[in-house]
Formats: sequence, C-alpha cells, structure tokens
Amino acid sequence: RQGGRRTDNMMASWNNNRKIKGVLLDISGVLFESGAGVPIDGSVEAVKRLQSAGLPVRFCTNETTMTRNMLTEKLHRLGFSMKDEEIFPPIPAVCKVLQKRNLRPHLLVHPTAALDFEGIDTLNPNCVVLGDATAEFTYHNLNKAFQALMSMEKPILFSLGMGRYYKEEEELVLDVGPFAKALEFAADVKAEIVGKPSETFFSSVLEDMGVSPENAVMVGDDIVSDVGGAQACGMLGIQVRTGKFRPQDESHPKVKPDSFADNLLAAVDLILQASK
Amino acid sequence: MEHNIKTILVDLSGTLHIENEEIPGSVEALKRLRNSKLNVKFVTNTTKESQRLLFERLRNLGFDIESREIFTSLTAAVKLIKQNSYRPLLMVDDRSLEDFKGIETKNANAVVVGLAPEKFQYNTLNQAFRLLMDGAPLIAIHKTRYYRTGSGLSLGPGPFVTGLEYAADCKAEVVGKPEKAFFLSAVEEFQCHPNECIMIGDDVKDDIHGAQGCGMLGILVQTGKYRPNDEDKIDPKPFLTVRNFSEAVDKIISTSS
Repeated sequence: RQGGRRTDNMMASWNNNRKIKGVLLDISGVLFESGAGVPIDGSVEAVKRLQSAGLPVRFCTNETTMTRNMLTEKLHRLGFSMKDEEIFPPIPAVCKVLQKRNLRPHLLVHPTAALDFEGIDTLNPNCVVLGDATAEFTYHNLNKAFQALMSMEKPILFSLGMGRYYKEEEELVLDVGPFAKALEFAADVKAEIVGKPSETFFSSVLEDMGVSPENAVMVGDDIVSDVGGAQACGMLGIQVRTGKFRPQDESHPKVKPDSFADNLLAAVDLILQASK
Repeated sequence: MEHNIKTILVDLSGTLHIENEEIPGSVEALKRLRNSKLNVKFVTNTTKESQRLLFERLRNLGFDIESREIFTSLTAAVKLIKQNSYRPLLMVDDRSLEDFKGIETKNANAVVVGLAPEKFQYNTLNQAFRLLMDGAPLIAIHKTRYYRTGSGLSLGPGPFVTGLEYAADCKAEVVGKPEKAFFLSAVEEFQCHPNECIMIGDDVKDDIHGAQGCGMLGILVQTGKYRPNDEDKIDPKPFLTVRNFSEAVDKIISTSS
C-alpha cells in the first residue's frame, strides 16, 4: 500500500483481498450528527443494505451522555432498526469490569447516563470512572474526582473512551479524553480505557459476532479511536468524511485508513463489494 | 557546604506561608537570613493575585520583604505577551488581572492559562480549545499539578493545560517554574553562577528539580504540599531535605559563616 491519499474508487484493493464477514459501525458522526434530529443522509439505507446482505452488524460507540436504552430508542426514532444487544457503549462494559474486579466507583459521568450504573455499589469508592460529563465538568467536580484518586492506596482511573473532541450542533466540543489526561497528570496515574480504542472492547464485540479481526471492518469518524483503534486490533478501518472528520485527517501522521468514504452509504458500497 | 553561596531563592506558598498563616518560625528565620548579607529573591508560581496583593499579604504576616524582591511567573507571562503583541484569552484569577492592564484582549489570538478555578469550567475550556484549534498559541503561566489548601488538595493549572494540549494537539509554552529560564531570570541581577545559588521550596518537582536542573542547589522543606518520600522522587535527590524554612536558614548560615 503506497503512502499518500488513497482514491475512493480503488474498490478492488482497499480490503487487501480480505473477505468481510462482520461490520462494526460507530454511531455519532456516522449514523447521525450529534445534536441533530435527523440521520445523516443515506445512513438508514446503508444499515438496511448491510443487514439485508446477511452481514452481522454491531454498533460500537463511546456515547456516555445517555443510557443504552435511550440510545436505542433514539436510533429507532431516526428510522434505524437494530436490537438492543447489538449496541456496544462503554458503560455496560465498565460495569462488567467493576463487578469482576470488586471495584466501587467514584463517578464523574453525565447525570443521564448515571442511570446505567444502577446496582453498582458506589460507597467507599476505590476507583474513579470518568465519562463525557459535559457541563458537569466543573472545577469542583474534577477536584472531587482528583481528591478521590489521591486518597486511594492504589489509585485506579477508568476513562470511557479517550476521544479529544466531537462535533455537537456544528461546533467542536471537548470530549472525555482531555479531562482524563488532566486527572492522569494531576494524580500521576495512567487511565484504563474502556470503550474504543481499547483492544479488549473491540475483542468483546468481535467475539459477540463470531468473526475474526481480519474479516471485520470498522467504519468511523474518529481517525484515532475508530479507525486507528480497529486497525491496531487487526481489523480494516474506513474513515468517513462526516461527523468530526477534518480535512487534515486525510494526511494523518500516524493512521492510514484502509479507505476513505464520503459517508456511511459510500462506505457500504465498498464493504458489500468485499463481502462477496 | 563546600559551595560558595551568594544567592538564596525562596518559594512563597507552602514554604513561608499557607494562605494567611505563617509557617511557624519563618518570619524570624527570614530576619536571620537578611543578617547574613546573602542576596535574597522570592520566586513564586502563584497566579491568584497581582504582585501588589501578594506583597501586601506577606507584609501583613510580618515578613521583612520588598515588592521588587518578588519575581512571579505572571511577570514572566506579561513579558512574553508584550514581546509578541498577543491578544490573550486570559484564564487567570480576577485578582491578578491588574498585572495585565493595557493588554488588548478583544479578538483573542492566544490563550493564557494560570490558576483560575472559576474559569476551569466546560464552557470556558471549550472557548479556549476552539481558539487553539484555530492556531492560537497556548501559554501556561506554570503547570503546577495541585496545591494544599485549607480544604485539602486542589487542582492547579497543570492538569488543565495538559488537557488542552491533548485536545488541540499542541504544546504549551510554560513561563514559570520549573523552566530553567525562570530561575536564571530571577537571579540575573545578582550576576552569580547558578552553583552559587540555593533554591528553597516545598514542591520537589517544580522548585527543587527545576532549580537543580539549571545548576542550582535545592533545599526541600517538609511543609506545604510536601508528601512523605517526595525526596526520593527526583534524580538527583535534593541537595538537602529539612523540616522547614527555619531549619533551611540554620543550615545555610552555619556553613557560610
């Protein structure tokens, strides 16, 4: 594969002759634009085409401003049809981790998403969980999370994703990543990432689909978390030009997507070609 | 101490005082230090107050100190802004704004971050982030990780600078401790070699490691934000680790007489 920009119509070789047996789709920036009340043009049809072709499809998102049920309902309202269990957000995944390791979290997450932590013991926390808390990212709240970490004998910090920013109603806003980095620096700890681009996260999705990484493709708008993360696990990665995509992503110094596509509908054309 | 010591740099918050309380013995110790005829300068990353307010607070605590002896990272930041004619978005405490008088802030094309808890909120941070994404430079008055306050540990500007650097994929220009330029600038007027200077402070990384990094000797005091075994966290270790400023002065005077 040569360096530099790949043209979108090199359909025969973008997948390096690998046969696609499973598809992972990002949600925000791929199915709909964050904050918008309508899906991205062609995305509903694109998902239908994949499902009609009999390909297993899973929705991998780092969305943590709403519960999984709310996310499913929103997607159904926009015209998408997928099952609850086909959506993989970080909170259910981190709850599994907390239970497995006997951890009790100090939560700094969006108040709406906090509902998905019901049943998790939060008394006498021995770890901190950071989500996309948006307006709850106040000095006071960040300080409380910091003080919690500093009071722990063995400080453990989970970050639900490590995204730098995303697009919300036409403007770029800070994602959870910068706040996780802030706490890492303050408390001198390294955050464990739950969600993209964690390999454990991607692996759990692949296992659910029963597909090996080399037969899977991830479509996303975040070149590092979605595309880079997927490729690091051995999957193919397609970068769409919707959502948080910026022109400089076409020549990213570290990540070279297997293909670019204007949007999900265009990406699905490539995928269906490679699934035959 | 086989060194020929000429100049003593003294940190303020955590070393001489914590907020409005003198660290016991410090006022007396400073008098003893003055009698030794060594050069003395007070260096601080404190950005919560203007030079004037800082000076007044110390005088009220009884410290024998002159305004011109205080060298702050805020002073260093103002110098940088004027040199480059920046129009800064000032994320600094309101009480330090008077030090930026005369500097244009409309149509900001730079971001300046100091210790400003009331400005470290989602909306203001987003504002700063978007300026950085448009190419504005990020100036950090310092990158202190945290402070000890009356109500426990408190985040400094460092974590927020780090977060913005990550978000905008940029590197901040840091003007305060522990940058070499800051320490060398502080002793410039005394025209002495770094190894003729001692830095006394409570922050093992910003005060001691920073000063030793430009050839000065560091004395770590176990007050303020000091935590047990801090002296083991840097290499080389502090030249000396003592209980407090008073003991530091004792050591300095007993070996330089």
